Amino acid sequence: MRPANPSWRLLSVAIVLLIGAGLYWATLKVNYQWRWERVPQYLLITGGADVVAPFDGTVAVSGKQIQITPLLGGEAQPIADVEVVQVSDGEIVFAGNTVGKKAGVTPGPLLLGLWVTLQISAWSLVFALLLGLIAGLGRVAHNPAARDLAAVYVELIRGTPLLVQMFIVYFFLGTVLNLSGFVAGVTALSVFTGAYVAEIIRAGIESVPKGQMEAARSLGLSHWQAMHHVVLPQALRRSLPPLAGQSINLIKDSSLVSIMALTDLTKAGREVVSSTFSPFEVWFTVALMYLLLTGALSVFVRRLEKKMAHD
Amino acid sequence: MTEPTTEVLIDARNVSKVYPNGTQALTGVSLQVRRGEVVCIVGPSGSGKSTLLRTLNAMESITSGEVWMDGISVHAPKTDLNKIRTHAGMVFQQFNLFPHKTALENVMLAPMQVLKHTAEAARINAEKLLAKVGLIDKAENRPAQLSGGQQQRVAIARALAMQPRVMLFDEPTSALDPEKVGEVLEVMKQLALEGMTMVVVTHEMGFARAVANRVVFMDGGELVYQDTPEAFFSNAQHERLRSFLGQVLPH
Repeated sequence: MRPANPSWRLLSVAIVLLIGAGLYWATLKVNYQWRWERVPQYLLITGGADVVAPFDGTVAVSGKQIQITPLLGGEAQPIADVEVVQVSDGEIVFAGNTVGKKAGVTPGPLLLGLWVTLQISAWSLVFALLLGLIAGLGRVAHNPAARDLAAVYVELIRGTPLLVQMFIVYFFLGTVLNLSGFVAGVTALSVFTGAYVAEIIRAGIESVPKGQMEAARSLGLSHWQAMHHVVLPQALRRSLPPLAGQSINLIKDSSLVSIMALTDLTKAGREVVSSTFSPFEVWFTVALMYLLLTGALSVFVRRLEKKMAHD
Repeated sequence: MTEPTTEVLIDARNVSKVYPNGTQALTGVSLQVRRGEVVCIVGPSGSGKSTLLRTLNAMESITSGEVWMDGISVHAPKTDLNKIRTHAGMVFQQFNLFPHKTALENVMLAPMQVLKHTAEAARINAEKLLAKVGLIDKAENRPAQLSGGQQQRVAIARALAMQPRVMLFDEPTSALDPEKVGEVLEVMKQLALEGMTMVVVTHEMGFARAVANRVVFMDGGELVYQDTPEAFFSNAQHERLRSFLGQVLPH
């Protein structure tokens, strides 16, 4: 193949820049005030996070130590060390009142949201792979019951919107089984992604030549031994690229858990928007943070693929 | 060549097979193989010779008839197929080596998983077998790094690792480049000389003539004719056999 003319690269850069300029021009048309300087404080709180009173009580200050004696009676309780004291000795505070500021740098709501998103995605990925492996094996099983159950699962989940499934899990299952938002979110995402993983694994298993299973069985291996030692290792390797894509989808789909009482990255973004009135900056920031997660995952999977190709 | 014993190791009795779509693959085939005997099955493609071979270790089911191996009815419902198959090593046209494992691991897998040999014991045996087929220097190579002839020799070593009572070869040289056929036939000949019982579906008439104790001709799902190689190739009275040999033998 002839090397492509480098000016095509320039053209693509030019087009991207043009679209960016167009967007900026559009914001000028609506008189949008860009206030990027407001965003960093929601990522990292450098001025120190607020320390609030956990209950109503009387404050006793000595240096940087704050103690609160409950109004309802009981022992005076020390509150976390503060850098800046914002109450005076003997003052009466109520639960939720700010009594001081902590020292150092603490993560802001957006970073905390990113952490929740990361946790939900990681747990969901583990369960989705497990569920998908079981259902994928069910799809290719000899047993008709296993085949039917796996098919029903896949069709049911792929045929309904994730958002509706989330509502069902959160409001129906969540109420019946008393699930926390986190557990409900992980459940919905795992079950949803598992159906797609099952199809990927089924396709992977079916892509392994029949002669592999035959050769293994002719040596006296049972169906499951052959599956475990011969077919699955090859099938999983072939499934890696589509599984990577599905994992990236999972991270993005996790933004829907913000309908549950869970402050993930998207929910945090919505909260920050309502307190800054800077929706453009915040949503661009949130999008960038999702890109960081999915980009890191892509790089990791590409490395893994390379490593497996060399093995 | 060691003389085969009179003891019957494989006894296929009146075996028929009809596929669900109605195709008759085998019609009333009876074949006996004695311990130590080398039987070559020849015939045109679609004659049912591979199907017959695959019914011997139940890789293919049968519609009627019986196959006995060492006193066990292979197709009886209560027979443990996994156990029967450990007694019959099978070598395939397409080699079917496990591509994610090295040559050595290919040979070690079944002894460890099925016979529960330790890794150490399996390795020692596998190295011995790879040396026997002349590939000990390729032990750490993956199948993709081996030629077709080398892959097929590893596949033979893999089958031998289960210490089978009989080796079943399903057109073992048909997928090979012509210059690689000889090395595989050489290994098979060596096995025959050591007294291994072998059933070989093949198009290699030279091998059948030189190594077989008996040559079987199949056509249209029927076992048409069987005889010693000398009689088989020299005085073919049978019309279908004559026309087949006319096509495959050099004039």
